[in-house]
Amino acid sequence: MVRNEIDLWHGHPGRVFPNHRQDADATKAVPPGATTENVLVGLLVGVAIIICVVAVWRLDVTGESGSGLGKQFTYDIKDMAKIDPNLILYEESGRPISTGFAGSSAIVVGPEGSLYVAGDKAVHMFGETGNLVGKVQLTDKPRSLAVSQAGEIYIGMRNHVEVYERQGNQLATWDSLGEKAVLTSIAVSKNDVFVADAGNRIVLHYDTAGKLINRIGARDEDRNIPGFVIRSPYFDLAVARDGLLRVVNPGRHRIEAYTFDGDLEFYWGQFSRSVEGFCGCCNPVNFAILEDESFVTCEKGLIRVKIYDVEGVFAGVVAGPEQLIEGGAAAVCEFPAQGQAVGFDIAVDAKGRVFVLDTVKNLVRVYSRKKAG
Amino acid sequence: MIRFGHIIIATAVVVNLCAVVSGRHGLPARENTAKIAAPQRFPPPEFESGYDLPPSPAAPHPRQSIYEYIDVAVLLAALILASYLVLKMRSRRAIFVLMVFSLVYFGFWRKGCVCPIGAIQNIVLSIFDRDYAVPITVSAFFLLPLIFTLFFGRVFCSAVCPLGAIQDLVLLRPVSVPDWLASGLRVFAYLYLGLAVLFAATGSAFLICRYDPFVSFFRLSGNLNILIIGACFLVVGLFIGRPYCRFFCPYGVILRQLSRLSRWRVTITPDECIGCRLCEDACPFGAIRKPADEWSATEYVRGKKTLALLILLLPVLILFCGWAGARFKNVTSRMHSTVRLAERIYLEEAGEVEGTTDASLAFRATGREVKDLYEEASGVRGQFAIGGWLLGGFMGLVIGVKLTAVSVWRQRTDYEADRAGCLACGRCFKHCPRERLRLSKKDKAIS
Repeated sequence: MVRNEIDLWHGHPGRVFPNHRQDADATKAVPPGATTENVLVGLLVGVAIIICVVAVWRLDVTGESGSGLGKQFTYDIKDMAKIDPNLILYEESGRPISTGFAGSSAIVVGPEGSLYVAGDKAVHMFGETGNLVGKVQLTDKPRSLAVSQAGEIYIGMRNHVEVYERQGNQLATWDSLGEKAVLTSIAVSKNDVFVADAGNRIVLHYDTAGKLINRIGARDEDRNIPGFVIRSPYFDLAVARDGLLRVVNPGRHRIEAYTFDGDLEFYWGQFSRSVEGFCGCCNPVNFAILEDESFVTCEKGLIRVKIYDVEGVFAGVVAGPEQLIEGGAAAVCEFPAQGQAVGFDIAVDAKGRVFVLDTVKNLVRVYSRKKAG
Repeated sequence: MIRFGHIIIATAVVVNLCAVVSGRHGLPARENTAKIAAPQRFPPPEFESGYDLPPSPAAPHPRQSIYEYIDVAVLLAALILASYLVLKMRSRRAIFVLMVFSLVYFGFWRKGCVCPIGAIQNIVLSIFDRDYAVPITVSAFFLLPLIFTLFFGRVFCSAVCPLGAIQDLVLLRPVSVPDWLASGLRVFAYLYLGLAVLFAATGSAFLICRYDPFVSFFRLSGNLNILIIGACFLVVGLFIGRPYCRFFCPYGVILRQLSRLSRWRVTITPDECIGCRLCEDACPFGAIRKPADEWSATEYVRGKKTLALLILLLPVLILFCGWAGARFKNVTSRMHSTVRLAERIYLEEAGEVEGTTDASLAFRATGREVKDLYEEASGVRGQFAIGGWLLGGFMGLVIGVKLTAVSVWRQRTDYEADRAGCLACGRCFKHCPRERLRLSKKDKAIS
């Protein structure tokens, strides 16, 4: 045992410590079998060096050989993108309308039936046939848009709201909400304006003069409000005919109903990879409310426009990836940044038509309900 | 009186401080760094829907900063203790215990990171990239062993370095490596250091960390090839003492030079060498120098001529190696992601490859001009051309100095530990009868 300890510490198996030079010389005498042992050691070291060199050679220095994982780990959403044709209730009507923008951001239908599209540094107005009927020039890029019954255009810039009349004259500029604010949606009712601030994860309730009345949706356990989970800059809202504010809570994959005082009344929607639910990190990204109070939702990533009834029950599909994206499902969201960037906006008119703003091609596609039979 | 060692310490401290200061207070100079430094466009994602965040794939996991300072304190304490054990107590057994502790703490518990060996790259990068901030703890890890080496020899290698410790533990049947072969193999360490500095300076890769043969053992996970390389080092290390330390360690290259200047260092005998030759084969690392007889007049004249010739040839060798190093710029620059991407894009544009890679796909999604990418890659290659000249010149200098050393006679009357190569492991102590006498006197005094 003692000898083993010495071996380990001094690395000389069986070595004794001679007391004089003659003994030292004696220890250097080559014992029988030492040559064979040395050859074996040499072979072992040689083999280890060869294996080491091969291992160095086989190292994937730059990581370009990939992960080495099998096909089962490939991110493939082709099957998810396929939609049963029987579920598709709408068809594209007419030719798409070119927005004339290099970067479109929002779409809304005005009270008189005109189509308003925001993009670049302007708002374009289109008539029934898709002809350009008006323009409002802006000083910065708009992100969201709403039109009141009186025809006033509320435009959400990055961190503040600007109000214009239809002729393009600026009526007001509201106070900035700070550097962190990212305004993604505006809804206007008779006396109230609601602004969705994705940056601060809050809905701001104003009067039409721009005076802040209330903040809606902040996490409040006492009021049973879970708070908004927003993982990408999409956060939409609208005022429904039942007098409640509908707000998307994209991280929770649902649409929540609030009173104007900020009480959460109910919600609907669930995460699901099937067509009935909302998938991905944060969907739906936008929605609109039809005359019959049913909802039209739009998802990003796996781009789908779907219909839900007033109770939030899945009713059908307006258009799926194959209808909305050239090349179909394969072109959808090849890498995360793309999925975060491409969120289409939607609007509906009194005739039940659905307008889908393709923010990539800067087109407005018009969908009408298929005729029965 | 100012010693040369003091100048070296001062230089090292100044370089380190420059690295820290340039890293901390630099302004964004590069586009990519500016993007990183830019404010977030959007609040970070929230996961509150019952989603459990998977554990971070980063290893080791980020630690609280207090633990980083504790690590520095442990390193300092271990260096002080190692110095005491090596120089004062002269106990191999105690050194062994400290070595095991260091292996457990810095190796298996701290997962081999931060280590002074890899810290070379942090320091180099912070000097060449003013946007890169080197943490003060990393600077301390880099600097402390250097300072201790200047004063006490390679005490870091003896009992504090986990890489050295794991190799030391497996050394069971040492065989000696001829001096000429050991000296030749050490060139790899200089080359490794040069390449590591080149790649770190150009922001290409941290080569030392990427090829650390033992870190996979410490983390109990890693690339299979790296595990195999580590296992091979350990198999070789059964017979050849500390092969990584002696022939590959880039930090060892620096420590070797500083150890030559050390104020105090390991001695085989506690007082005087009686020339008994008992320690002759005690060192498994070949770091005991035998007494050298004076050269004969013929040998002296021949050595003098050879030395003169080599000194004359040294600039030629440096220039030639520098020129050769610059020729490799296309190969070495492939370690830089921009050059790799540019080459890939070029092949895709020329139709010489099918499909895309993640990197090329991401590049095309940015909308950047291919021409801009080529220009950037060309600039990087230019850096590698300069770096190749310097690296080649450095290697030429190393080879030249090694050759000239053969022609220099050094008088030595006693058996002594090699100033540069001694790893201060303490194996030789008990082979010295004077040491045994000292210990027996000590025992008697105690009893």
